[in-house]
Amino acid sequence: MEALAISNYDNIFKRYDLVSEGSGQGIMATAKDADLQKIMECVIEGETDDILGLVDEALTKLDPMVIINDALIKGMNEVSRLWDEGTYYLPQVILASDAMLAGIELCEKKMGKSMEKKGIVVTHTAEGDIHDLGQKIVNALLRANGYEVIDLGKDVPVDTVVNAVKQYKPVMVTGTALMTTTMTAFEKISNRLSAAGLEIPFVCGGGAVSEEYVTGYKLGVFGKDASQAPGMAADAVNGGTWQELREKYNG
Amino acid sequence: MNSRDRVLAALKGEAVDRPPVISVCQHATYEQMDELGAAWPEAHARGDKMAALAMGGFTMLGLDAVRVPFCQTHEAEALGAKIKDAGRTGVPSVEVHPYKIGDQPQFPDDFLERGRIPQLLQAVRILKENIGDQVIIIGGIVGPYTVATNLVGIDDMLRTSFKKPEKVVPFLELAEKAGTVLANALVEAGADVICVEDMMTSLDLVSPKIYRSLAAPYEKKQFSGINAPTIIHICGKLDAIMTDIAETGPSAISIEPVVDVKLALEEFSKKGIKMPLIGGVDPVRTLFSGTPEEVRREVEKALEDGFSMISPGCSVAPASPLENLLAIVDTVKEKK
Ligand code: B12
Repeated sequence: MEALAISNYDNIFKRYDLVSEGSGQGIMATAKDADLQKIMECVIEGETDDILGLVDEALTKLDPMVIINDALIKGMNEVSRLWDEGTYYLPQVILASDAMLAGIELCEKKMGKSMEKKGIVVTHTAEGDIHDLGQKIVNALLRANGYEVIDLGKDVPVDTVVNAVKQYKPVMVTGTALMTTTMTAFEKISNRLSAAGLEIPFVCGGGAVSEEYVTGYKLGVFGKDASQAPGMAADAVNGGTWQELREKYNG
Repeated sequence: MNSRDRVLAALKGEAVDRPPVISVCQHATYEQMDELGAAWPEAHARGDKMAALAMGGFTMLGLDAVRVPFCQTHEAEALGAKIKDAGRTGVPSVEVHPYKIGDQPQFPDDFLERGRIPQLLQAVRILKENIGDQVIIIGGIVGPYTVATNLVGIDDMLRTSFKKPEKVVPFLELAEKAGTVLANALVEAGADVICVEDMMTSLDLVSPKIYRSLAAPYEKKQFSGINAPTIIHICGKLDAIMTDIAETGPSAISIEPVVDVKLALEEFSKKGIKMPLIGGVDPVRTLFSGTPEEVRREVEKALEDGFSMISPGCSVAPASPLENLLAIVDTVKEKK
C-alpha cells in the first residue's frame, strides 16, 4: 500500500510540474487504504471529474463519514499544508476545495443528512470590496475542518452581516478587506454586534488590515493567515471569548 | 532636462539629470479632487473631468508624467461587462462577467466607440493640448490575462488556466487585441507611453507556470504591437518571474517594494538584460498610513537599490495625504 502511494506521488509531481514550481517538500499525506488513498489524491490534485466515480464506488464498501474524514478532509488538509509552504498556488486550492465539496455532497446524500458540523462560521468580504480570494481560502479551510460556512460573499453591507449573525448564531464571524477605504466597515459591524449583545469573535484579515487596526475595536481579532481560521473556530466552539482569542493569536 | 526628456531617456536606459518621478498606476486623491473641482465618479466617465483630475499629477504633485484613466474597467465594459459604479469614494469594478468558459467571444468592430472609451480618448487629447509639451502623458490599459479574467470571472479563469488551459486561449486572444487596439488609439490621441496593468498575473493569484504559459506570450505580443514605449505593472512578490517578465519586451517594469530589486537586477545582468525598474514606495504602508519622513527614507532606499524611476509601487489609495505624495518628488530633487 505504502509503495503504491509513493509511486503515485511521483506522477503528481510530473503531471503538475510541482517539483520545479515550489520549494517545499511535496505531498506527504497517506490514507488508510487504497480506495481512500485514491480519493484523497483526487482532492489533492483537484480532480473534480474523477472524484465522483471514486466516491460512489467507495460508498458501496465504506461508511460515508470515514470517506469524508479519512479521504476528503484529509486531502484538503494536505492542500492547506502545501499552500502554507508555498508549493501550491491559488488555482490548486480552489480546485481542491471544489473536489472536496463535491465528494462531501455525495456522502451526505448517502447518509440522508448533512454531516455533523463542529459549528457555524459566517464569512464575508467588506462592503465596497471585491477582493474575495482571502475569504475563499478561509471558506475552503474551514469546510475542510468540518465547519459549516455561511458564505455571504463579497461587497457585503454591514446590515447583511449583522442580520446573518442574528439568524445563524455562528460561533465566529470573519471579515476580509484589502482596501483602506473598505476596512472601516469592520468597526461598524463590531459596534452593531456588541450593541445587540452578540459578543462573538470577529476575526478580520486581508491585505490592508493590520493587527493594530483590528484590535482597536471590540470583538476584533486579527487574522494574519487563512490557515489560522480553523484553529480559531475550534477555540470559539470550545467557549473561547473574543478577548481570549485576541490574547492567543495577537499581540 | 524637462520632464518629457527625462522620462523618455530613462525608459531607453540613457543618462538623466535625476531619476524621473511618476506614478505608474492610479494616483488621484480626495485632496486633489477637491482642489481641482474634478471628482469621482464623473472623472471616471467624462473626458473633461478625467483630464482635469489627471492634470493634478503635474500641477499639484509635480510628477514627470500624468496618467489616465483611474480605473481598470474600460476594456471589460466595451467587451460587454456590466460595471458597478462606486460613487465618489471608489473606483468602478466589474459586476457581471459577460462570458463563460466555452463561449466563443467576438471582437466588436465598434470597440473604440463603446462604453467610456471615447471619453478616455478625449481626456488624452485635452491633456496633450494643455500640457503635452511639458510632461509625459501615460495612457493606461489592462493586460491580456487580466481583461480575460474580467470576461469570465476569476474563479473560472484560475480553474481553467490550471486544468484546461486551451479553453482560456480565445479570451486571451480577444483581450490582447482589445488592449492593443485601445493602446494605439491612446497613442494616436496623444499618449507618449502606455502602461499595461496585468495585476491578475500576480503570483498571489497564478503560479509561475501559468504566468509563463498563458500570460507572458500575450503580454509579449501586446508590447510588440503597441506604437509607443510600454511599462508593465504587476502586483505582488514576483522574484520567481522577474526575468520572464523582462523577456516579454516592455520598455520598463513597475513593481511593488516586496520584490527583491537587487536580486532582479543581478539576474538581469547575468542574462544581459537591460531593463529599467520603476517603483520603490509602498502605497499602503507608507503613502497611506506613513509620514513624509517614512516616505523620504523609502525613496532614498529605492534610489540606492537601483530603481531607474521612482513611483508608488501600485495604485495609490485615494485617501492618502498630499504631503506624503509631495515628499516623493521633494526627496528625489534634493538627493540630486
Ligand atoms: C487580485 C487583486 C485584485 C483583483 C481582485 C480579484 C478578487 N476576486 O479578489 C481585481 C483586479 C478585481 C482588483 C481590483 C481592484 N484593486 Co486590487 N489587488 C489585487 C492584488 C494584486 C492581490 C490581492 C489578493 O487577492 N491577494 C491574495 C489573497 C489570498 O490575499 P488576502 O486576501 O490578503 O488573504 C490573505 C491574508 O490576508 C489572510 N486573510 C484574509 N482574510 C482573512 C480572514 C480571516 C478570518 C483570516 C484568519 C485570515 C484572512 O489570509 C490570506 C492568506 O492565506 C492586490 C495587491 C497585493 N499584492 O496584495 C491588489 C490591491 C488589494 N488592489 C488594490 C486596488 C486599489 C484595487 C482597485 C481599486 C484598482 C483600480 N484602480 O481599479 C480595484 C478595486 C475593486 C474593488 N471595488 O474592490 C490595492 C488596495 C489599496 C488599498 N489598500 O487601499 C492593492 C493593495 C494594490 C495596491 N494599490 O497596492 N484587485
